[in-house]
This record gives sequence, C-alpha cells and structure tokens, in this order.
Amino acid sequence: MTDRRGTDERLAAWLDGAMNPADAAAFEAEMAGNPALAEQAAAWRANDRQIADALAPLATEPIDPEWLAQMGLAESTAVAPAMPPAANDNPAWWQKRWVPVGGALAAGLALVLLVVGRPPEDPQDGGLSLALDSTPALQQAQLDDGRMIEPVLTARAADGRWCREYRIGDVAGLACREPQGWKVEAEVEAAPATKPDEIQLAGGTDNTGIAAANARLGTADPLGAADEAALIASKWGDR
Amino acid sequence: MADPGPDSQAMREEIIAVLPRLRRFCRGLTGHAENGDDLMQSTVERALGRAELFEAGTRVDAWMFRIARNLHIDAIRSVGRRGTQVDIDEIAETRGEDGRETVENRSDLAAAQRALQALPEEQRSAFLLVVVEGLSYREAAEVLEVPVGTIMSRLARARARIDAVVGRSQGTGND
Repeated sequence: MTDRRGTDERLAAWLDGAMNPADAAAFEAEMAGNPALAEQAAAWRANDRQIADALAPLATEPIDPEWLAQMGLAESTAVAPAMPPAANDNPAWWQKRWVPVGGALAAGLALVLLVVGRPPEDPQDGGLSLALDSTPALQQAQLDDGRMIEPVLTARAADGRWCREYRIGDVAGLACREPQGWKVEAEVEAAPATKPDEIQLAGGTDNTGIAAANARLGTADPLGAADEAALIASKWGDR
Repeated sequence: MADPGPDSQAMREEIIAVLPRLRRFCRGLTGHAENGDDLMQSTVERALGRAELFEAGTRVDAWMFRIARNLHIDAIRSVGRRGTQVDIDEIAETRGEDGRETVENRSDLAAAQRALQALPEEQRSAFLLVVVEGLSYREAAEVLEVPVGTIMSRLARARARIDAVVGRSQGTGND
C-alpha cells in the first residue's frame, strides 16, 4: 500500500520537523480533516516521547573516572591546581561558617583565585547552566564532562540576579543567572572538606575569592530550602 | 608519530563531552546496560586509535555514533558466522521481539527497551539517532551512510512497529 507508506513517511517527517513549511502546512490541513491520521500522529508522538524520556536518564549517569583514566581520557578533565594545596587542614571556602574545633583557620585559608568575572558562558558551557538551573542545593548533577557539580546555596545579588555558590570536586564557585546562562563570578581551588565530626558552627569571616565576590555583588542572605525549591520550580521567575 | 598535539587534546575533550550520549546510544542499540557499555568502550578505543581519520569541521558525536553502530553490526554479523557463541545482546538481535527480559531495572526503561528491541537494527539506529539523540535526517543519513529518504522511511516503519508493540502490550494488560 504505497499510499499508506507515503502517509506514514510524511507523518514521520512532520513529527521530526523534516518538512519544509509549505509541506508541513499542507500536512496539517490534511490532518485537520482526517481524525484517524491526527490520532495516529498523537500516538506516534506519545510513543516517541515515552521512549526518549525513559532513555534520558542514561545520559546523566556519571562516567566512571577510573574507566576514563584507563582510556587515557581522564587527564584532560582534571583541574590542574594553580598552586600546591596549602596545609591540609584548610577548610573549603564555604566552611567559613563552620570552622574546625580549635583550628584557628580563618586566617589560614589559602585559596587560589582562578577566575573572576569570566564573561557570560554561551549555552555550550558544559552543562553548568543546566545543572545550576535545576539542581537543589546539596544535591549533585553531572556536567557534560562527567564531573559532578553540587550547588551549595542560593542568594540574590544586589543587582537583582540570582546567584549560587557551588562546588565541582575541589573547585568552589559562585555564578549568577543571566538571560543567556549562568555567569561564573568566581572560582577557587578549595582544600578538601574536613570531616563533619570535626566541624562546628562558627561565625568566621574571610576574604577569599568567593567571599570577595559576594562582597562585590552584595549578595543577600541565602534562601531556605523551600524558597529555593519554589524558585527552581518557577524556572527562576522566568515566564 | 605518537605526538599528541593540541588537536588530539581537543579531540579527547570532545570525546569526553560526547560520552554520556554515546553510552545512551550504545545501550539503546544493544538493549542491555553492560553490553552497551562494552560497545561504548570499544567505540572510544576505535575513535582514539583513528582520530586522524576524523574530518575537521564535522561533528564528533556523529562520527562516534557511526563507529559505534558499525562495531555493533560487525558484532552481530560475527555472531551470525560463529553460530553458537552468543551473548544476551546478540540474542536480542536474532530473536527480536520475544519478550526477552532486559537487565535494565526501571520499568519505563525496560518498556522502552522492549519497544526498541522489537525493531530491526536499521530502524532502531535511525530511531535512536533522530528521536533520542536529536540528529537531523541529514545527520542521521551521514551516520548510517544511507540517503535521507531512507532515514525517513525507516523512521516511519519504526514508529508503526513501535505503535503496534506498545499498543499490544497495553491492550493485553501487560505482563
């Protein structure tokens, strides 16, 4: 049945956006007068979506770093430290609020400012914007290169932009949301986190890269989890 | 000779960026998580070994999809010649839609895999490239080395088959 096959092929091309506008308009007019065809189109589209959605998470699973290393691919993703790590009891930058017991570390923070005021990333920013748009604080998402990013907190800058502090491995960063994506305001090499049982709440201050960026941007107090969740759900206030 | 210049570094980074999607494509092709990962590994090895054959200005993802798909077909053919030595992946290829269980543990993923494995390989690869990976007909045609019209007809037949399979399992109240 050549007719049937021809119709199926036109439907496929229409679903895939592979028709020129005139053909697409003609096909849509045909569907409007042919409920069976319209129903078939809806069913095919639903099947497509179901399969694509089911497979979508497969592309977000982390790639095993050991495997990458075996393949000789790992070194290209490693973040080369700009200087040797300082004394290993240095807390990571966000621990300015949680200083190790008995450790006079606020003055000892030795973090290396890597990037300040990088220009806005284009959409090809390795998944950073996507991850920051959609990942709640303290949960992880995978960047395109396999590294895991963990947003730490969300706060509003004085200029009205939403900003998030985050961590990618040993790199801590601060990025603010702009129409074309998240702009990295600062990134620093951070010492590994100390163990949770070694820290306690404290009111330390520092003037490391992230803190300096926060000061420069005049960021307000961080949002609570519920407010942050609502903000993510609203797509950051976008309509 | 073995001089890894800046180009090969850039190539490695592009390969890494493609890996998550390549893995999805490989799992969709084989219908099986482990076999898909094996295929991804073979694909990366082949790509790294033949990086000099990559045409600058073309898409690394399309190039790697083509390598993966060709390796997959080679594996199916070689199993066909050897006869008995088959693993679960190739069983899927030769048995087609027979309700074979997959190792995937999520039910929606398992259902999607069942629908995909009900397709002949040529339709499955076209469907995965266009519907799941978002390639245009022209790009998919280049990956599969067939005319654009062939991609269109494979997608039409794939969707008709999927609709029959999905409709059937829904209609019978499932298994």
